[in-house]
Amino acid sequence: MTDLPLDGVRVLEIAPGYSAGFAGRLLAGFGADVVVAGEPRDLTDDEQVWLLAGKRRVAAASFADIRPLALAADIVLVDWRLPSPPAPLPTSRERGVSDPASDVLVNAAEVLRERRDVIVVSITPFGQSGPHADYEATNLIAFAMGGIVSLTGHESREPLVTGGNQAYALGGLNAFSATLAAYYGMLVHGEGDWIDISLQECSAAMLELYGPGSAFTGMGASPRRGNHLRAVWGIYPCADGWAGVCCLERQVPAFFRLLDDPVLAEERFADPTLRAENDDELSAMVYAWFAGKTKADILQLGPEHRVPFGVVMTPGDLLANDSLAERGFFDTVQTRDGAARIPGRPFEGLGWRGARPPQRVDVAGVAREWSEATP
Amino acid sequence: MKKLPFEGVRVLDLTMMWAGPFATKLLAEMGAEVIKVESPQAWDNIRTLIPQPGVEASWDASFYFNDYNRDKKSLVLDLAQERGREVFLQLVAKTDVVIENYRADVLDNLKLGYEALRAAREDIILVSMAGFGKTGAERHHVGFGPIIEQMGGVASLTGYGDDGEPYKTGISYGDPVGGIAAAGAVALALINRKRTGKGSFVDLAQRETMATMIGEAFVASSLRGEDPVHRGNRSARWAPQGIYRCAGEEQWLAISVRDDTEWAALAEVVGAAELAGLAVDERRARHDEIDTRISEWSREQDPQAAMERLQAAGVPAGRVLDSDTIHGDPHLLERGFWVELPHPRMAPWKQPGVVWRLAEANPHLRRHAPLFGEHTAELLRDLLGMGAQELAALEAAGVTSNAPVNPGIG
Repeated sequence: MTDLPLDGVRVLEIAPGYSAGFAGRLLAGFGADVVVAGEPRDLTDDEQVWLLAGKRRVAAASFADIRPLALAADIVLVDWRLPSPPAPLPTSRERGVSDPASDVLVNAAEVLRERRDVIVVSITPFGQSGPHADYEATNLIAFAMGGIVSLTGHESREPLVTGGNQAYALGGLNAFSATLAAYYGMLVHGEGDWIDISLQECSAAMLELYGPGSAFTGMGASPRRGNHLRAVWGIYPCADGWAGVCCLERQVPAFFRLLDDPVLAEERFADPTLRAENDDELSAMVYAWFAGKTKADILQLGPEHRVPFGVVMTPGDLLANDSLAERGFFDTVQTRDGAARIPGRPFEGLGWRGARPPQRVDVAGVAREWSEATP
Repeated sequence: MKKLPFEGVRVLDLTMMWAGPFATKLLAEMGAEVIKVESPQAWDNIRTLIPQPGVEASWDASFYFNDYNRDKKSLVLDLAQERGREVFLQLVAKTDVVIENYRADVLDNLKLGYEALRAAREDIILVSMAGFGKTGAERHHVGFGPIIEQMGGVASLTGYGDDGEPYKTGISYGDPVGGIAAAGAVALALINRKRTGKGSFVDLAQRETMATMIGEAFVASSLRGEDPVHRGNRSARWAPQGIYRCAGEEQWLAISVRDDTEWAALAEVVGAAELAGLAVDERRARHDEIDTRISEWSREQDPQAAMERLQAAGVPAGRVLDSDTIHGDPHLLERGFWVELPHPRMAPWKQPGVVWRLAEANPHLRRHAPLFGEHTAELLRDLLGMGAQELAALEAAGVTSNAPVNPGIG
């Protein structure tokens, strides 16, 4: 037995997009045998390097090709709407073109519905039911309808989507954790389940105080606040880039000591309620303070004074970061363009294996392995 | 009815603020018995973060606190006192999981590190979720969600592009991301214990979890040295894509066009049929012009009607729902996403329901967040067999309490 917590767990990804690919990537890292059937959907080359690492790939033009895998898998991941007759087939992106994935899913759904010992996870923009279930969506559309976009960006400008593919990634991360929960339940209680993850709901469930605040107080929508919720909670230009501070009330005195201005001892700044009325004046002081500090200065002052400081780091900065190197965070995966470095384990303490390039294998061989393996 | 996955799992929850409580909220939704442990002197700041002048026992009447702490039990125990720690370790012996999101050194300073917990229960699972982990040169950094987002690379990818400024997400994004991953860590550790009989110490650095959300950016950086490019709401692949103003105050519509067919449909709807034949490269080159044409149309449109019309034409479009309009979204309403739970101190309001929709086990919200110390006596009596005299002694010593000491603004 290896020290990989998911050693021996069989995962089938059917024609994955970003979300299913991300969930599968994490499961593979923790030791699951993740087999990607069919071609990934709408993934760039870089996304394929990241999301297919550590998996095996099989060709699948029809469900007949992967039926044995569907019958033996412990977990099936898709990011398509699963048909439940008489619902229509999943909509193909290329209308008017026969979509093999649709046939695969129809048949997979029929087979999987007969099994009690499998976790089936679908990750879709709006979930498996409801009036928008068949709506066309991208990362931007799903994130916009989840509420977070309305809160992001400058109040004088249009709402702004967060960088990367956050709607997709949130769907994948939720699917990863939900899958593990359901798999544990299957180990303990003996039965699997079908999990319906909606990207919209993933976002709508995490609207911080703004969502419940609007619902509870009836005060209407929260505005966008750009980079400054208030003076002690925001991002500022510093001498060599951008840096941020996020103080709770208990941390404000330490931050004020660093600002080192006697005026901050006055009631209008010391009292949190009055401080809010003088936020512009305080912001000007904070701007000036950050402008005179480098990112290195700020990172040193944070832990020394227990003030929550940060700096805006790029992926390149993180790849060169000593602390992450010391913790062994990044994996390396070989590509045709060289060695790519990608995030490794999302947490330490449970067995994780380094990334390897995806391996193309014969579907019959995998079917034989899976059918012979002891669950 | 099928059992929830974590039925029978007990969690001692030392987490506070958002990241940790979001994790344990998910565990509770999946059926775990989550016991939220707070001290009379150091309670969860979320209870008092939003001032509520004049509200009696305001720490029990916070919608913000309630959102993250539903379906949990409240146990008040002063872990700074020796007696409090003794009681805590007695509870650990009857617990599967301990989870905390303190600063990296706090749990050890309390003499409640992993080895102390293991001494109480050999196969205990400890999940620690400090911002920067328990090891490494930056382990002593302090940070909340926005700091995690900055230090994890995501903020560097977000921006309009014409002002050179990176932007934070409008929520403390690092917190729920860390929480979702931590819930997964608990599940994985339980699977591992089932498989091996052994407990685990999981060290989750929220900054690393955040970096995992942008894996492809590390591929671009490591293979080609690419720095982040701020594209606003545009796509590197597709065009046009953007967020367009609609009729009414702060009403917006997001549109993504992925192929020529979708573009032709959009061009027709917005009255730009003469541009319908543009290929993607041409659309990208003329994006500003196309945005102007779309905006001229959209500014006269109701966002809901415009979304429905574009979707009917096969164009990916979505209303930018805000913190208010999202509660009236017909789709979320039909899926029963918003739930109103009775609460002894507050009138009901729409709260987000369960995101991990297990079709057959059917998890659903059961109860409002606990009042401060609501279950202290019940838990100490039922789990440790304490009698009335012992409970009174703990309260007299300030180890337990039914109210925070000197609650101010969080």
